[in-house]
Amino acid sequence: MTNNTSVRASTYRYSFREYLRNRVISRVFSNTGWPEWFGGILLGIINILFVIWALKPFTIYTGFLNWGRSIYSMLGIQVFGVPKMIPLFEKTSVGDIGLFTGAFIAALLSNEFRIRLPNSKLDYIEAAIGGLLMALGVVFARGCNWGGFFSAITVLSLHGYLMFIGLLIGGLLGSMYVKWRVSYDAKRLELELAQSNTTNPASLASSNLGLQKIVATILVILLLVLALTVYTIDPSGDLYLGILLLGIAVGIVIQRSRFCFATAFRDIVYGGGEFRRSVRLHIGIILGIIVGATGVFILKYQGIIDPMLYVKSSSIFNILGGILFGLGMVIAGGCASGSLWRAAEGHVKLWVALVVSVLSYPVFKTIIESNAKWIFGSKVSLIDIFGWNGSILFIYVSMLVWFFIILYLDYRRGGKYG
Amino acid sequence: MVKFIAKSDNKYLLDVRGLVCPYPVIYTRKALSKLKPGDELEVLTDNPPSCENVPRAVKEEGHEVLEVKRVEEGVWRIVIKKR
Repeated sequence: MTNNTSVRASTYRYSFREYLRNRVISRVFSNTGWPEWFGGILLGIINILFVIWALKPFTIYTGFLNWGRSIYSMLGIQVFGVPKMIPLFEKTSVGDIGLFTGAFIAALLSNEFRIRLPNSKLDYIEAAIGGLLMALGVVFARGCNWGGFFSAITVLSLHGYLMFIGLLIGGLLGSMYVKWRVSYDAKRLELELAQSNTTNPASLASSNLGLQKIVATILVILLLVLALTVYTIDPSGDLYLGILLLGIAVGIVIQRSRFCFATAFRDIVYGGGEFRRSVRLHIGIILGIIVGATGVFILKYQGIIDPMLYVKSSSIFNILGGILFGLGMVIAGGCASGSLWRAAEGHVKLWVALVVSVLSYPVFKTIIESNAKWIFGSKVSLIDIFGWNGSILFIYVSMLVWFFIILYLDYRRGGKYG
Repeated sequence: MVKFIAKSDNKYLLDVRGLVCPYPVIYTRKALSKLKPGDELEVLTDNPPSCENVPRAVKEEGHEVLEVKRVEEGVWRIVIKKR
C-alpha cells in the first residue's frame, strides 16, 4: 500500500489543468493538423445537422450577398437589392460568421494566428481579381464551392456535378497561372543568390503580435456577446444560435484539417506542387459528400424535408461558373470557405479577396439575373433523373469512380512530387 | 519578394513569409534545386499548412528534414539538408 502511493506520488507530475493543456489541447490544436479524411467526414456530418436545423445545407455566398447589400444600403444604394434581414438574422450570414469565428478560435488555440501582410503588390492584385472571378462564378454556378458543389451534390442536385466539371477545368487554368507566377518570381530568386555575401538574417524582430491577438480576441468576443444578447431577446434566437454553433464547428474543422478546395482542384489535374495533398483533400471531399448525401437522402426519402430542398437551376452556365470560380479561388489563394478561414487566421490578402467578393457579388448578381435570366436552366434534382434509389446510387458510383481516377493519377505519379 | 540568401558557404535562407499555398512548397523545391548536395536550406514560412507540407514534400524527394520549429507564433523555421 505505502509502496503504491509513493510510486503514484512520484509519477504524478501534472495537475489536471497541465494534463489538459499538454496532453489534450496541444494534440488537438497542434501544428500538424487533422487528417483530411477525418475533416471530410466531420464536414459531412455537420452538413446533415445543418440541413435538419436550418432547412438548408451549409453554404457561404448568400451571406456575402447579405453583407454586400447591407453595406450598399447603408450607403444609400439600393439598386443591388435591399437585405431582407440584418446579418445576424440571415441563416447563411450567421453560418459565415460562425465559420470565421471557429477558424479564429482554432488558429488562436494552435498558435497560428498572426496578421500576415502579402509580400508583394502582385498579391493584392491577385486577391482583387480572384475575388471578382469568384463572385462572378458564383452567379453562374448558383453557389460557391459549397452551395454550388459540395453541399449541392449532398442535397442531390444536378448543379453540383456541373460545377464539379467546371472546377476541374478552372483548377487546371489556375495551375497554369501558378506556373506563370512562379516563373515571374523565379527571376528574382536567382538574383538574390548572386549577391551571396550579404548576410541578412531574416528579421524576426518580435512584432506586436500580443496586441494583434488581444485586439482580435476582443473584437470576436464583442461579436459573440452581441449575437448571444440579441438571440436571447429575440424569439427566433435559438435557430440562429444553433446555426452560429454549427458554423463555428465548420470553421474549426476547416482550419484544423486545412480543408482547402483551391489546393484540391488546382493540383489534381495538372499535378502541381501539392499534388499528393490534393489527392488527400479529394478523398476528404468524397467522404464528406458520401456521408452528407446519405443523411440528406434519408431525410428527403422519409419526407422529413422537401425533396426539392436547395435544388438549384442547372444549365451549361453552371460549368462556366465552376471554371470562373475555380480559377478565381486559385488566384486569390482560397475558395469561399478558404477565404473566410485564412482571413480569420490573419492573412491580409484574403481580407482583400473577401471585401472585393462581398462588394462585387450583389452587383454581378443583379446585372446578370435581371438581363439574362434565360441562361439559368430549370431546377433538376438527381431524384428526377434516376429515381429515389438511383439518385443515391448515382452519387455512390460517381464518387467511387472519381476515387479510382484519383488513385490512378496518384499511381501514375509513382509517389513522386513533380 | 522571395528572399533567397546565402548565409555562409553551405547554409542558405529562403524567406517565403507572406505567401500562401502552393508557393512555399514550389519555391523550396526551386531553391533546393540550386544547391549542392549536403547544403542546408533554412525556410521561413508563416503559412500554417506549409509547416507540414514543405517537410513532407522535400522528404518525398529524398532530402533530409533537420528541424521544423515554431520560432514565433505563426512562423516556422524548416531546416532541410539537400541530398
